[in-house]
Amino acid sequence: MQFIHSKTFHWAAALAGLFAVFVTVLFGFIYFSIDDYLIARSDRMITRQVDFFAGLPRDRLIGALDDHLGQDSRGVQFSGVFDARGKRLVGNVAALPDGIEIGAPAQSVPLARVDDKEAGATSVRTVARSLENGDILVIGRNVDETGEIFRVVGTAFALGLLPAFCLWLLAGAWLSVRAQRRVEDVNLRVQRIIAGDLHERLPHRKVDEPFSRLAAIVNGMLDELESTINALAGVGNDIAHDLRTPLTRARLNLERGRTNATTLEQLQQATDKAIAGIDQSLSIVTALLRLAEIENSRRSSAFGNVALDEMLREVCDMYEPIAEDKQIALSVDTSDKLYVHGDRDLLLEAVANLVDNAIKFTPESGAVKLELLRGEGETILRVTDTGPGISGREQEAVLRRFYRSDKIRNTPGVGLGLNLVSAIVKLHGFRLIIHAGPGGRVEIVCPDEQVVGT
Amino acid sequence: MTKVLLIEDDGETAGEITAELADRGFEVEWSANGLDGLAKARDLRPDAMIVDRLLPGMDGLTVIESLRKDQVRTPVLVLSALGAVDDRVRGLRMGGDDYLTKPFAIVELIARIEALLRRPTETRETIVRVGQLELDLIGRTAKRGERKIDLLPREFRLLEYMMRRSDQLLTRAMLLEEVWNYKFVPATNLVDVHMGRVRHKVDGPGDAPMIHNVRGAGFILRAVS
Repeated sequence: MQFIHSKTFHWAAALAGLFAVFVTVLFGFIYFSIDDYLIARSDRMITRQVDFFAGLPRDRLIGALDDHLGQDSRGVQFSGVFDARGKRLVGNVAALPDGIEIGAPAQSVPLARVDDKEAGATSVRTVARSLENGDILVIGRNVDETGEIFRVVGTAFALGLLPAFCLWLLAGAWLSVRAQRRVEDVNLRVQRIIAGDLHERLPHRKVDEPFSRLAAIVNGMLDELESTINALAGVGNDIAHDLRTPLTRARLNLERGRTNATTLEQLQQATDKAIAGIDQSLSIVTALLRLAEIENSRRSSAFGNVALDEMLREVCDMYEPIAEDKQIALSVDTSDKLYVHGDRDLLLEAVANLVDNAIKFTPESGAVKLELLRGEGETILRVTDTGPGISGREQEAVLRRFYRSDKIRNTPGVGLGLNLVSAIVKLHGFRLIIHAGPGGRVEIVCPDEQVVGT
Repeated sequence: MTKVLLIEDDGETAGEITAELADRGFEVEWSANGLDGLAKARDLRPDAMIVDRLLPGMDGLTVIESLRKDQVRTPVLVLSALGAVDDRVRGLRMGGDDYLTKPFAIVELIARIEALLRRPTETRETIVRVGQLELDLIGRTAKRGERKIDLLPREFRLLEYMMRRSDQLLTRAMLLEEVWNYKFVPATNLVDVHMGRVRHKVDGPGDAPMIHNVRGAGFILRAVS
């Protein structure tokens, strides 16, 4: 019986009630219309009769009235003649009613029959007329048919409406029970999802119905969540793996040093190696924390106008010796002074990371070029190199944490560089575009609303 | 004896720092909470302070702020487990002189404390000298003894920074921050490459070395004794 408290059922009941009220009003309206019509018709009839009888000569009037009453098998006709003092001369009306207006149009007055005094007076539509000799002619007609009609129609109506109302309530109850079942079903599945079963989905049919659509939307969200969580779990494994490698090495170094070292120098050598391993693990943790921190931060007070051309020259200055060591031509090509709104330190870090990558993956005697271009309503910072570049297949993958291209498996690095660049770029509302190789080409596109003056 | 006040709530970290500083001849006073630390800072007048950011009783930055309000100019190194981008800026704005994020290498901490204690005074000197090495800040020229040294602008900047802090251990992070204005440690060992270039020019063939590499820590520029 829980459905009685459900909203669906309440609505169904309210609608059923409203329907009943509407039908009742309609019935009332029909009744009163018929009533009015019947009364008007009978009024016309008795007015015609009274005109007819009043026009008859005295001797024929008695007979005509008797005939008139004799033909009335249903006993609805009233007629009578009274003298001026109210004494009954002929007819079936017991007495001249009080308050009857003589000569007025049809009116409702209480009349009693001569032959049926016990029944008492009933309200009858009546017309009274003065005859030439001062007597009063009374003609009445009982319009009880309307009451009969009311009873008949009322009964039919009650017989029809009551089952309809009950049916309606039943439908409401059924709908609410069905809705409740579905909610129960959804709840059961959601509980399973909460408990960790991410493969569970909400039931939905392929029909355009709000409940099914809602279920489809939630299922879509669950698909997305599941893949994100799987990806995160993958990242967790990657982190564990990447941390374990240097830590294992450090442990091995320490163990070997402890067992084998015979001089202080040997022990120091072993510890130095161990420290290097631990430092590498720490740098992975630091890089991850920094990444999380940038991903979660918002534009801060550190935002200001950053001269990109100057920044590129600074980065170039910083990396020139390393490029020289690898015989890589590192060049900067900026024609204009271009400013963007941003955090100088973070943007520098992003650009340095791109240049660092470019130099790392470009073979000896190659070239790395930094360019600053004006696009349509945007400023483009481009880093190109003559290295292997990123294949179309890897364009997405390089932005995954710890992703390292197979080609560069043995190049040192943490594998978070591009993630960091991507996070910094996103924080600024810029776009990072990685073009497919051969030859590396990465762009940071800064839309113009960010460019303050040129 | 140089007095250092350490305000740090973690006993073990504090113990390590105290032992290391004591080894290097510092007198260390330890305080485990902000209020006590503030009182000690006022009473003992230390030469330098190391303040953890998150402290029971009173936040580390509040301690520094109250000291600065009292016109106490003691150099302060702020320690923090928080590495947020804005955090460092706030730490320095509130009156900290340097900022170090946990976990850190102990040599990094010592190097930074020594750097704070021996901050070069602003001089009007236009020539900086360390032993035979001479830097002309106006002419942008360098000499070792009679030998002229050709330096690129960036090499000049690095050498000037090191000469103003001769006999001090300069860590890579410190050099990146101060010479190149890098607030992060890049993947490639940039500092070593730059240092290699400068060392190659300063310590010519047959010269006694002046730039020393301290393993796992950083670099020191020393006059040849």
